[in-house]
Amino acid sequence: MMDTIANLMLKTGLDNYVATHDWVWPVCEILHFFGMFAIIGTVGLVDLRMLGVGKGIPIASLERFVPIGVLGLALNMITGFIFVAGNPVGGPKEYLGNMAFLIKMSLILVAGVNLLVFYVFGIARAANATAPDGSAPLSAKLVGAVSLLLWFGVIYFGRFIMYNDTLLNAWGL
Amino acid sequence: MIDAIENSAYAVWVRESPSIWAYTTILSLHAMGLAIIVGINTVVALRLLGFVPDIPVAKLRQLYPWMYLGFTINAFSGLSLLAANLSSDSHNWMFGVKLLMILFAMINLELTKVRVFDSPLVVNGTGVPPAAIRFAIASSVFWSLAIVAGRLTEYPNFVAKWVGFG
Repeated sequence: MMDTIANLMLKTGLDNYVATHDWVWPVCEILHFFGMFAIIGTVGLVDLRMLGVGKGIPIASLERFVPIGVLGLALNMITGFIFVAGNPVGGPKEYLGNMAFLIKMSLILVAGVNLLVFYVFGIARAANATAPDGSAPLSAKLVGAVSLLLWFGVIYFGRFIMYNDTLLNAWGL
Repeated sequence: MIDAIENSAYAVWVRESPSIWAYTTILSLHAMGLAIIVGINTVVALRLLGFVPDIPVAKLRQLYPWMYLGFTINAFSGLSLLAANLSSDSHNWMFGVKLLMILFAMINLELTKVRVFDSPLVVNGTGVPPAAIRFAIASSVFWSLAIVAGRLTEYPNFVAKWVGFG
């Protein structure tokens, strides 16, 4: 499975491109940071407001910034794919077999499920109906708290990818 | 002086401890603090530029403590990382650019508070001073450059090759 994915990624030839163009990696890293703060600034702010911060800011209005976060996520999926498929030294397997990377990807997946729960179970509608000065329902508070934990977890384990051994040693693996 | 700081017990712990709470967690905190302060700044800037006008500008003032939280996390994590890498960072001009951009961004943040959020127009909820647009653009430019310079601090050879000096 991992070999199949790695081989598919290597077929893109991205590793060769990254190896011969030294600007690709730093530029993608810069863009990856921009995508990161776009997600935290928009999604994270809606989460904070649902948790009771910034009363007077209507939740529904704040949600209108979320497409910028989605754009940030798309940007980070593209640049992230370039990091994995284009890894010039260790290849895609260095990531696909990396515990911190796998935890990061799992957390993003769970964040997606959390978002689905937010929209499918009517929690978003209830949150949007909150008065500008009011408190969001408990269900929205829970979704917000989980979302914040997950996205900061994504950043935390993302930074650990390069230091995966530290994680493995600490966990006795 | 530089050696004394870099070889201090704390700097050595940050740099060399195998604990997950040392270098890597501090590095993670630095990214989180960045996301908090720049993320919130961006939304505030977009509102000042006129997007989503149904958000009352005055209410955004409540986000200042959260931006200060992001800044505080990054001041502590940043100083820790600097102590650990002082000899290389102190010779890295891109790192100097980053610090300068953060200084400008923070001055701009305070000026925005005084000139925009404390202005009678915003306090009375009757509008936004025209200068708000300049502060919003300046904030986005300074923070973007701070991130670019911060990332490039990690690539001194790349910078030296492309810019011509390093």
